[in-house]
Amino acid sequence: MEPNVKAVQPQFRSGISGPKPGGMGFVFDDIHGLIPGPPETDGTSFTALLELPPPQAVELLVMEDFPAKSMPPPIFPSNIALSDRASMFSIFASADNPPDSTNIISASSSMKIDSVKQEPLESEHHRNSSSPAVSNQSLKSIKRKEREKKVKESSKKSKKLEANEASDGSGEQLPYVHVRARRGQATDSHSLAERARREKINARMKLLQDLVPGCNKISGTAMVLDEIINHVQALQRQVEFLSMRLAAVNPRIDFNLDALLAAESESSIDNSYLGMFPPSIWLEGQLNGSRQQQSWLIDGVHPSRVDDTSNFITPDNSLLSYDSPPNSVSLHSSQLKMEL
Amino acid sequence: MTMNILPPNSSAIKTRFAVKFIQAMKRLSKRRGMGDRYKRYRATRAAACVSMASAVGPEWAWSRAVLRKIKRRRLLRQFRVSRKRRLIERTTNPRQNLGFGQEEDLRGLVPGGKGMDYCSLLSETAHYITCLQAQVQVMADILHRSSP
Repeated sequence: MEPNVKAVQPQFRSGISGPKPGGMGFVFDDIHGLIPGPPETDGTSFTALLELPPPQAVELLVMEDFPAKSMPPPIFPSNIALSDRASMFSIFASADNPPDSTNIISASSSMKIDSVKQEPLESEHHRNSSSPAVSNQSLKSIKRKEREKKVKESSKKSKKLEANEASDGSGEQLPYVHVRARRGQATDSHSLAERARREKINARMKLLQDLVPGCNKISGTAMVLDEIINHVQALQRQVEFLSMRLAAVNPRIDFNLDALLAAESESSIDNSYLGMFPPSIWLEGQLNGSRQQQSWLIDGVHPSRVDDTSNFITPDNSLLSYDSPPNSVSLHSSQLKMEL
Repeated sequence: MTMNILPPNSSAIKTRFAVKFIQAMKRLSKRRGMGDRYKRYRATRAAACVSMASAVGPEWAWSRAVLRKIKRRRLLRQFRVSRKRRLIERTTNPRQNLGFGQEEDLRGLVPGGKGMDYCSLLSETAHYITCLQAQVQVMADILHRSSP
């Protein structure tokens, strides 16, 4: 193992400058972080890395330079113990971390577990091939295939965690997991927290986009926010409009609460809301679930109406008329189905 | 990734809101001193907002803000004390606001939005939108049923 290590180390540096000249500067930090790990012979990950022929090991380590290509997860040919420990590390990582970074870590660990599970299969393949030359070539071909398949992000994060094991080299407990930054991004804790926060905000924006009808097609945060603001304003105006009309109607209404509550407890979810009112007010035969859905659909169309008219004193016909543009109705029906 | 709280069960909220709103409307119709006036409209609107907020519950910041505002208004109406405006520090992260002052618009729209960070503002907005939609549906339904 020792001569291997000595042979490999200089070749790392030459290998970097040799076949891949472009943009090497960023990778030096990573490799310098890895190289000082003492070469141990108890089958830890770093030596497993070194078992690979040098150019391929360099390829693995230098992968961050080429965002265009997709990259495979590092394949450790004959070390299944590594993959087991890797999965263990990911579990430890998710357990030990403060809640802020668990988002990143759990996401990466879930992706990593997927990639790690593939490694035992491939390592078995490698074991079956007897001669090292053959195994090298099979490694190359497999790696080439996997480059086309694998996603850059997951492989990068898996590489991060396994590279951490390499630099650690010690027992089975990590105090915390180092999350490697992507190329061109700062690595201090502030920007990491910033990035986590940004991802949270983007997730919430996505939710809002799904909620507001017609926001899916718009790209760009500013316009989506505009749409959201318009939607909220329209809904608030609708509430005011409806309360005005209810206030006008109010003295004549007879709310029968007993019938309300009794009907509510009996009926199913779909109809529970229908059973609110005494039968005298019901229009017979018309207040089924379908019609209620339709009336709810119609109400969902109102934002567009109220926006257009922007006029509270609309005639009664506008509220009670059921002709509506089909696309918004379908949108709202899908929304209803989502909610219910 | 931490997900937002699941979108509220719409029919449950609708039921709760409808019950409370109808109770409030009953009380309102029995009250004296309400002619054919603007006052009744304002009281109805306040009843709608309060019943929605109390149906939602105190776990959401916007519902707490609505209830606080209504309580304050009632106390003020009783005692006619001049209001003190509380200045709440706004914690805006300028990097997040890329648009044309949309964030402050949103804060102005969502009740209780001024004292929140951007992240929770977005989730509050999402919940507020679903509750507003439910409220609109219920109120329109009541209107349709009561005056065929």
